[in-house]
Amino acid sequence: MAPDKPTSLITVTLPSGATLEDALRQLGIGRDAVDTDYGLVDLHNGTYALLVTEAVAERAHGTPGARGPYANPKIEPFGPPQPGRDED
Amino acid sequence: MRVLIQMKPERDVVEAVANPQLTATTQDVAGSMPGVELDQSFTPVALPRPVPTTTEGDPLSLTQQLRFSMRPEDATVLVRGEIHDYDAASRLSMLALSRPQIVGISADPAIQTSPTCPGDGPVGNWQDVKNLLAELGADDLDGSGIALAITDTGINTQHLSNELDRPVTVDAARSWNPPGVTGKPGQFPVDHGTMCAFDALIAAPKATLIDVPVLLSQQQGPTVMSGLLSDAVAAYSHLWSVLETMPDDKRALIVSNSWGSFSPRWDFPPSHPGNYSDNPGHPFNLMVTALESAGADVLFAAGNCGLDCPDGRCEFPDRPIVGANSHPRALSIGGVDTRGNRVGYSSQGPGRLDPNKPDICAYTHFEGSHAFGAGEPDSGTSAACPVAAGVVAAVRTQWSANAIKPAELRTLLQRTADDRGAAGFDHDYGFGIINVPAIMDALRRRSKNGHGIRR
Repeated sequence: MAPDKPTSLITVTLPSGATLEDALRQLGIGRDAVDTDYGLVDLHNGTYALLVTEAVAERAHGTPGARGPYANPKIEPFGPPQPGRDED
Repeated sequence: MRVLIQMKPERDVVEAVANPQLTATTQDVAGSMPGVELDQSFTPVALPRPVPTTTEGDPLSLTQQLRFSMRPEDATVLVRGEIHDYDAASRLSMLALSRPQIVGISADPAIQTSPTCPGDGPVGNWQDVKNLLAELGADDLDGSGIALAITDTGINTQHLSNELDRPVTVDAARSWNPPGVTGKPGQFPVDHGTMCAFDALIAAPKATLIDVPVLLSQQQGPTVMSGLLSDAVAAYSHLWSVLETMPDDKRALIVSNSWGSFSPRWDFPPSHPGNYSDNPGHPFNLMVTALESAGADVLFAAGNCGLDCPDGRCEFPDRPIVGANSHPRALSIGGVDTRGNRVGYSSQGPGRLDPNKPDICAYTHFEGSHAFGAGEPDSGTSAACPVAAGVVAAVRTQWSANAIKPAELRTLLQRTADDRGAAGFDHDYGFGIINVPAIMDALRRRSKNGHGIRR
């Protein structure tokens, strides 16, 4: 079974100027459950985004102020356009 | 909907249409026709009546011997016009009943050569695009002092300088790398992001580029659901901070995004509260709203999933303009070639967050940056988006986001666009092709009338 890497996107409501440590305390999790390189991203609407393990994301529903998981899809450049399958 | 209307006007009018020595106009033939926008530039055409050569002939068969009578009592006349797309079938029925002289109505579809498609050679070059946008220079709208963020694969300034034969400015201090990306601003390998930067500089040659290589992130999770949109969330948070450091009266930040999601497999289903494609509450879509509210002009490529010749990666079964590419607070840019024809791969609306997408079209598929090699065009709505972003940056040279709010500027670009396709907004061209002379007229009128404050 693949290890549960912190790739699930959630948001958490925190006061202005909050740090990653504040988010960890609110969620009741350790640093090993989050992507510390990604850190805590201020969404400038009173909430912050962070990447957590799937297990933490699933628990996020029940944590006050936490929401998610949100889709974190792969994004790709729109060019150059590649021929369609029947044009190959 | 364009229509051909076959009429049986008075005999003398038919004679005038049929006789090349005489002149008859659409007005002479049809007069006014409420509900139909008649094309007065179209010269009415006389149609002969097919008549069997024998008296026993079947009047409805085209497989027998026929002669064609252009006698005034036999011939009919064609005029053309346009009716509104809304409830077209009922309108056609009512039109047929509205005038006894109308004997037939048929569709008048646009006749086109094959659209430009993936793999086709360039249509024109970047100088052609520059000429189409040239009027910006008349008022010194060149992007001087304006920050233009390219969120892509990174920029290579050396390549840009070589191609443009002049220096290019990247603001390293305000640029930003996703976690794990170690390259320096303006020094990334020549790729898609360099193409986008080149195309943005066509209309705004003196803009200051902000390099945001969000597509270079190597972050990958265990499933196809794990990816990079979280890096775009972080990038937008950084850009929000950049914007907040600008004084109100100088505030201007243009964000060009030539990327998106090709497949619903990478997303939660639309019914899931964490879905991205259809959900304005997704954190990235909220960040787009926040950035626009703070004064940024956000532009997204509409995508390359047009019905004529979609990119081979397209997997959405319908409505391929998804997520932020269809955001109501962003401009969604479709693509046309330098002849003004929609490229066949340019995604069509309706969009998923806002059905009225794309907003407008800009130029693509021209020889430009050579980022993909000699002879390879700058293509995709990827190129169209920064071309339009450059126009916005040029406008911002003298009009800050305080003087013309991003929403007002979007409306101005929509209202001034050169209408193509069906009359008014349509899902192929949006409001039409970006139209610099009309933008300039609108800005000059605005200035003359005392609306808005120049920087």
